[in-house]
Amino acid sequence: MRILIVEDDAAVAGGVARILESEGFAVDSVARGEQAVLAATQERFDLVILDVGLPGMDGFEVLRRLRSQAEGVPVLLLTGRDAVDDRVHGLDLGADDYVAKPFAVSEVAARVRALIRRSQAHAGPKVVHGPLTLDTVARRAFLNDAPLELAGREWAVLEVLLAKVERVVSKDAIIQAVANWGEELSLNAIEVYVSRLRAKLEPAGIRIRTVRGFGYMLEDYKEK
Amino acid sequence: MTAQSLRGQLLRQLLPPIAALLALATVIAYYPTIEPATAAYDQALIDVGLALGDRIEYNDGKYSLDLPRAAERMLRTDRYDSIYFHVSAPDGAHIAGDEGMPTPPADETPADHVIAYNGTYAGKDVRVMAVMVPCNGRRCMVQVAETTYKRQRLLRYIVLSSLVPTVLIALATLMIVWFGVKRSLEPLDQLSDEIKARSPRDLRPVDAAVAPEEAKPLVGALNALLQEVAEANLNQQRFLANAAHQLRTPLAGLQAHTELAMAQPVPEACRSELEQVHLATVRTARLANQLLALARAEPGGGISAGLGPVELRQVVEGAADEWVHRAMARDLDLGFDLMDVRVYGDAFLLREALANLVHNSLEYTPAGGHVTVRTSVQGLDHRPVLEVEDEGPGIPPAERERVLERFYRAPGTGGTGSGLGLAIVREIAAVHGAKVEIGDPREGGHGCRVTLIFPPAGQRPSANER
Repeated sequence: MRILIVEDDAAVAGGVARILESEGFAVDSVARGEQAVLAATQERFDLVILDVGLPGMDGFEVLRRLRSQAEGVPVLLLTGRDAVDDRVHGLDLGADDYVAKPFAVSEVAARVRALIRRSQAHAGPKVVHGPLTLDTVARRAFLNDAPLELAGREWAVLEVLLAKVERVVSKDAIIQAVANWGEELSLNAIEVYVSRLRAKLEPAGIRIRTVRGFGYMLEDYKEK
Repeated sequence: MTAQSLRGQLLRQLLPPIAALLALATVIAYYPTIEPATAAYDQALIDVGLALGDRIEYNDGKYSLDLPRAAERMLRTDRYDSIYFHVSAPDGAHIAGDEGMPTPPADETPADHVIAYNGTYAGKDVRVMAVMVPCNGRRCMVQVAETTYKRQRLLRYIVLSSLVPTVLIALATLMIVWFGVKRSLEPLDQLSDEIKARSPRDLRPVDAAVAPEEAKPLVGALNALLQEVAEANLNQQRFLANAAHQLRTPLAGLQAHTELAMAQPVPEACRSELEQVHLATVRTARLANQLLALARAEPGGGISAGLGPVELRQVVEGAADEWVHRAMARDLDLGFDLMDVRVYGDAFLLREALANLVHNSLEYTPAGGHVTVRTSVQGLDHRPVLEVEDEGPGIPPAERERVLERFYRAPGTGGTGSGLGLAIVREIAAVHGAKVEIGDPREGGHGCRVTLIFPPAGQRPSANER
C-alpha cells in the first residue's frame, strides 16, 4: 500500500509518515503541490494525504488536478483553516475525507485505514472486516470462514455500516439506503435489524455501537 | 456648531421675508384704493357746499341763507354719519348753520376753491370741506362737515379685503414650505431608517439612488467608509485564515510527535514529562482554536456573507462523528435528541458554539455518565432551542452569570479549560440574538444544562444584536 503525503511542514509530514509506516504502509512525502501532481501522474498511489495550505499551488488546486488526472485515488485533506469552509469546498472538489489540524496521528491512521478499505471494497467484489467477509457479487457472507446467514434487510444494513466503519451513521441515513421505493421503514425496524446483526456478529468480536438518539457505528475491528 | 433641524432652519429663514413682503403688498394695495374711495365722499360734501353757496342771498348789506326747512332736513339726512354745515360771510361773520366749526388750516391755499381738512366737532372726528363761493362779488365760505363713520368703515373694509387673501397666501406658503421640506427630506429619513436597521455585519453600500441630489456626497462618503471597513474586514479574514493555518500546522506537528514518542518504549521518568508536553500541546491547540473562533465571531471576523437559514439538526449531525469518538475515548454515553429546527444564523459559528458546549460536558462528566445534545422548540412562540446537558458537577447558581465571561473559571474547576469556551458561546449567541441559559438538568439530579434560546422562527436577529 503506497501513500503520498503532500505537506510542507516537515514535522507534520514526518509524524504522519511515521505512524503510517509503523502500520505497514509505504509512504512518500513531497512538500509542494507541483511535485504532488507530478508524482501522482508518474506513479500509482493507493491514497493521497493532502494539506490545503500549501505554498504555491494550494491543496484545492492540487486536488482539482488530481481529480482530472489520476481519478479514483482516495484523497484525505488536512486543513489548518476553519474546518467548515475547507471541508465543504474540499468535498465539493472530490476529496473523500478531511481531518482538521491539529489532530491525533492515531485518528489520521484510522481515517487512512477506513478510506483504503472503502476504496478496495469498491475495487473488488469482497468486503473484509476482521473475521467477516462479504462477497457482494455472490451475495454471500462468511464469518471466520464459515457461511453466515443474513436476511435481505440485514445484509443491506450491514453494507451501509461497512461502508462507514468508525463513522456514525444516522438511522435516517440507514433507512434511506435500505428502504425500497414507496415503502415506509420505521426507526424501530432498523433497531430490530441491528439487534439481529449484533447477535450474529458480536460473538466474533465485531461490535456495532449505538449512538443514543442518532444511529449506529460499526467499530474498527481490533485483534484481541 | 450645534445641529439644527433643516426644516426649522428653513422656516426661520423664510418667515421674516415672507411677512415683510406681505406687509408691503398690503400697503401697496391700500393706498391706490383708499384715495379714490375717500375722494368720492369728499366730492359729495363739496357738492353740498356748492349747493348751499347758491342759496346765499345779499340784501341791504346783509347776507342770508335761503334754506327751506325741508331742504335742510334732506341735507342733514345720512344713514350713517351726522352732517354739519356753516356758512360765513367774506368777513367771517356767521350767516347760517352750525357754529363753532373747526377753522381751515391757515397756511392752506384753496385748491379749486376748496380746502379739505380733518378736525373735531361736538367731540367727534369730522372731515370738513371748506368751499369758497362767490357772493355779491366777494367770497363767502361754506363749510360742510361729516363724521367719519362711513370712511372708517370703508377703510376697514378695504384693509380687510386686501389683508385676508394675503394672509391666506402667507399661510399657504408656510404650509407648502413645511410639507415641501418634509417631502424632500423623506428620502433622508428612509436612508437613516435603512442604516439604523442594519446589522454591524452588513457592509453593503447604501443605495444612493433614493438619496436626494444634495445628500449624494454624504451617501458617497458613507459608502466609501463602508467599503474601507469591508476591505479591512476582508484583510482581517485573510489574516485570520493565515494565522489559523500558520498556528495549527506546527501544533499539529508537535502533537503528532509527542503522540509518537509516547508510543515508544521510554523510561518512566521521561514518560510523565512527555505526557505533560502532550497535554500542554493539546491545550494550546484548543486555545488557538478558541481564540480564532472568538475573532471570527466579532463583526468583521469573517461572517461578512451574512446570516442565513441554518438547520440546527444538520449542524449537530455534521459534527456528531467527531464528538462520539471523543466521548467513547472517555467512556461517556453521548446521545442526541434532535428535532428539525431552523434558525437564522451562521453554521460555522453555531458549530463552534456547540463544539465548546460539548467539549465542556465531555470534559467534566465522570466516566460512565451521559451527555445529551438536544434541538427543540420552546414556549408559545416556538423559539428554537439548542441545548447540551451533562452529568458533571454543574455550575452553582451564583457562578452562572460569571462563567460566561472571558477567561473566567469557576473556583474549584478541574480539567484543563481556558475559560474561553462559554464566552465564545455567549458571543456567538449574541450574533444570533439568542439567549444563553445555564440551569440544572431537565430530569433533575446533578449536572449542567446550557441552553441557547433563539428568536422565534423566521425572525431575524435585531440590528442591535451586540
